[in-house]
Amino acid sequence: METGIRTSSPKGHRPMLTEALDVAIITAVFLGAWQLVFWMRFYPPYLFPSPAMTFATFLQLITSGTLALGLFTTGYRLIGGFAIAVGAGIGIGLVMVTFRRFGRVMSSFALGLQSFPSIAWVPFAILIIGLTDWGILFVMVMSSIFSVMLSTYAGIRNIPPIYLKASKNMGARRMSLFRRVMLPAAAPSLITGIRQAWSFAWHALVGAEILMATIGLGAILYLGSEFARMDEIIAAMIVIFGIGFITDRLVFARLENGIRAKWGLSN
Amino acid sequence: MQPQFERPRLATYAPPLEGERILRVEKLRKTHIIRNGGSKKHGDLVVLDDVSFEVGEGEFLTIIGPSGCGKSTLLDILAGLEPYDSGDVIVSGHRVNSNSPDIIIIFQEDALFPWLTVRGNVEFGLKEQGVSAAERRAKADYYIQMVGLTRFAESYVHQLSGGMKKRVAIARGLAMDPRILLMDEPFGALDAKTRGNLQRQIQEIHASTGKTIIFVTHDVREAVCLGDRVMLFSHGPGKIRRQFVVDLPRPRRAEDLALHDLIGQVLNEFSGEAEFAENGDGDSDQ
Repeated sequence: METGIRTSSPKGHRPMLTEALDVAIITAVFLGAWQLVFWMRFYPPYLFPSPAMTFATFLQLITSGTLALGLFTTGYRLIGGFAIAVGAGIGIGLVMVTFRRFGRVMSSFALGLQSFPSIAWVPFAILIIGLTDWGILFVMVMSSIFSVMLSTYAGIRNIPPIYLKASKNMGARRMSLFRRVMLPAAAPSLITGIRQAWSFAWHALVGAEILMATIGLGAILYLGSEFARMDEIIAAMIVIFGIGFITDRLVFARLENGIRAKWGLSN
Repeated sequence: MQPQFERPRLATYAPPLEGERILRVEKLRKTHIIRNGGSKKHGDLVVLDDVSFEVGEGEFLTIIGPSGCGKSTLLDILAGLEPYDSGDVIVSGHRVNSNSPDIIIIFQEDALFPWLTVRGNVEFGLKEQGVSAAERRAKADYYIQMVGLTRFAESYVHQLSGGMKKRVAIARGLAMDPRILLMDEPFGALDAKTRGNLQRQIQEIHASTGKTIIFVTHDVREAVCLGDRVMLFSHGPGKIRRQFVVDLPRPRRAEDLALHDLIGQVLNEFSGEAEFAENGDGDSDQ
């Protein structure tokens, strides 16, 4: 009876604790399996380092500043490219809403381009722009802008007409209609598209850095393969995983859930 | 044995010769263009034809008619949200336009903004009018209190019941201090008890604010209960069929016996409009 009550009404912190425990368990299992494979010596240690060796390399990458420089470079590219994609994507999305025929054509093109592999933009970017940050930004923007465009377009087109009627009746015009009604009404759709754009931009950035950069997390991966430094490769991979995990789960998922809850939409 | 009391009679409305008229609608005509699939024009559907009426300052006018008779279109036109083909809509001597929120409409559907709190919703139009933050808040709180939702001023719309949402919509409309408050079947989707409460509350608000209210419904009971005057529309095309004065003391309740007699007479008047009678019966279950 008592236990039944306790399990049926868990305290607020319990789900988070169990979640942390699950993460700890799966991490331990992963590290254990890795160590086991290392002990079996299928590969020489320089090709397949142990968790401890990788951790040592990781610390060394931190102390030498290589990781900090890579993180910083990758970070500003990510934020810059993402900002351009969101800004331009919302802008083009609004043009699509304003000009219906353009919107119809563009949305089917955008749907196709959304599934276009980001890596396939790299040769084009290298020849047109070159092996520069701008080339990398181009690849990122082309990979993520279409999600923003489409979600802006769909978000605004799907605003219940009654909201616009009511706000016009109360005197809202042009800019304030856009800012105070259309933008917030489209926010749930928009944030979904922006979250997707972040993830696409991230994928594209790492790919582009492997092929186009000499500094950055992707470049560490590339140089690692050139110099057969598997420890550095794995360390960089873990950092890349961490960035994606943290930004999506802690920033975008929370933002999206927060908006959906406030708007009264079920998840 | 018939019970011995004087049966109230519905007096056919005759417009007064003088007095304050806040709204004058003259020979209003509205057509919708029917399009066949693409952009090819197929024909015109006359929605409103030769609609003329006047509304006095502070009057509570109810409009009933079968669905599709153009009642909602009429309200949209009055609110300046919809153009019309010919005729005139004059509010206090000026032709209606959408740039002055003199006429506020409350819709049947939920038109509250889910991203704003109750207070945010009520303040929305005031902010649009450039009212200062302090004054906005004072006005919003005043009208939120009038509809009895002070405790919920900080709540978001999805946390409210259907009846509470309607009260927020009414507060939002009143806060704009419109010359005329239009209500488009506002209580249509609510259960009988909630609707009864809101019918009482809107009469109290009408009495205390003296607002002119035009209230559209397809429920005869509601129309007779609320209106100083009931305007019957027939459809295809939408026309005013008859108008009645309801001269009974307030506050009224939809269950009042005196009201039942009038409701019967109005229903009789409309026995020809099958769809209408059906709607009226369907809505008057207790």
